[in-house]
Amino acid sequence: MTNYKAIVIGGSAGSFQVVTKILSSLPQNFSLPVFLSLHRLKHVRSGFLEALSIKSKLSVIEPYDKEQIKAGKAYLAPANYHMYIELGNRIALSTEEPVHHSRPSIDLSFITAANAYRDKLIGIILSGANTDGALGLKHIKDYNGLTIVQDPSECQVRTMTEASLKHTAVDHVYKTDQIINFLNNLK
Amino acid sequence: MAGEIGIVETKAVIKLIIEKYGIDFSDYALTSFKQRIERIIDLYNLKYSDILINRLNDDAAFFEYFLYEMAVPSTEMFRDPSFWRTLRDEVIPGIYRENGTAVKIWLPGSVSGDELFSIAIVLHELDLLEKSQIIVSCISKKHLEIMQSGLLNSSKLEVSTDNYIRANGMRQLSDYLVEENNNYYRDKRLIKNVSFFIQDVNCEPLPQNIKLVLFRNKMIYFNQVQQNRVIKNIHQAMGSGGILTIGIQEALGQFFGLTEFTALNEHESIYKRT
Repeated sequence: MTNYKAIVIGGSAGSFQVVTKILSSLPQNFSLPVFLSLHRLKHVRSGFLEALSIKSKLSVIEPYDKEQIKAGKAYLAPANYHMYIELGNRIALSTEEPVHHSRPSIDLSFITAANAYRDKLIGIILSGANTDGALGLKHIKDYNGLTIVQDPSECQVRTMTEASLKHTAVDHVYKTDQIINFLNNLK
Repeated sequence: MAGEIGIVETKAVIKLIIEKYGIDFSDYALTSFKQRIERIIDLYNLKYSDILINRLNDDAAFFEYFLYEMAVPSTEMFRDPSFWRTLRDEVIPGIYRENGTAVKIWLPGSVSGDELFSIAIVLHELDLLEKSQIIVSCISKKHLEIMQSGLLNSSKLEVSTDNYIRANGMRQLSDYLVEENNNYYRDKRLIKNVSFFIQDVNCEPLPQNIKLVLFRNKMIYFNQVQQNRVIKNIHQAMGSGGILTIGIQEALGQFFGLTEFTALNEHESIYKRT
């Protein structure tokens, strides 16, 4: 069994295909919960979840506030809400101010997840056109969690990954296939 | 987001506020409450939670600012346009058909007035505003003043205008706005008959015989104990058949049981009191 208890993934422009690929490659009985904090259109409530679900073996859900966290599920931050990891193994939602013009904010999901899981957390930053996530990834590293950044050379938009690499001496810079291999070898 | 405080410090702030002001935040959701405190420390350049605690202890006027900043304002007017379409086209006609005039509408825990002016505009456009009695309660005098001034935070102007169009508003949102010194104010005539009062964290004192409650994205700042307590109160304030609306990603069923409410429209989080 892996020592890790959760995975949190942040992405923006250019991350959709990467997330889809990761979700389609993890087994249905994957032993950890996966939190997806992805920038998305605020006013479009439906469609995104459905698109991510098509090829995913894990069930992907937009959690309700205070929903209990379960292994083997992927939790997608709902449109126009921040998604926090609350103590007591629950998810909390928030409509607080946007961070880096974003709600959901990747930083806030990462920071609250790091506070809850400490060194038992894996944080992954994917392609994106914004610096959101850099602070959150550093927070995970500060708690001795494991940090992974998608190889910028593979990213459709490199801003987000490069900002994260500038802030944090990350553990791994991986291409999508390597991320998938790594996660599948956690079992 | 400057300094981060821990749970111990957060609980110390909560304890001081109970002792000094008799207001109990201990059943607020911990993560968001901690973040609000961090934000206030940052905003007032207080650096440490100890300085905040001293300031709260010594300065009752500062506590009003604390209450003001602690509550989370709503994000925009007409948030979730499809909710507003459903409310206007399906829910409101039913309420007024059954109740005739003087329909009581309550907005507990209001902060910035976005939901208030949204519902007032909807009722105005349906020619039902005069037949409605809107009641607004909030935890801070400053919220009350801001709402009564009509001020619309300028960062919400664009998204609110887009939402209003998506909600099939009958006019233009700008018809209800006045610009003054680079600020936008909503037309105060919309709220001339609204009554305001200061409530506690449990939404008490409770009004009676409410036919429609707008309580969207307020429970997310509570833990489940507090959610349960507040929903029971709201249930009590509503007449039988009253309508309760909560945030799209908020849930009633997990703690209160659905015998007290039935879903009228689950997708839009609209419930009817049985």
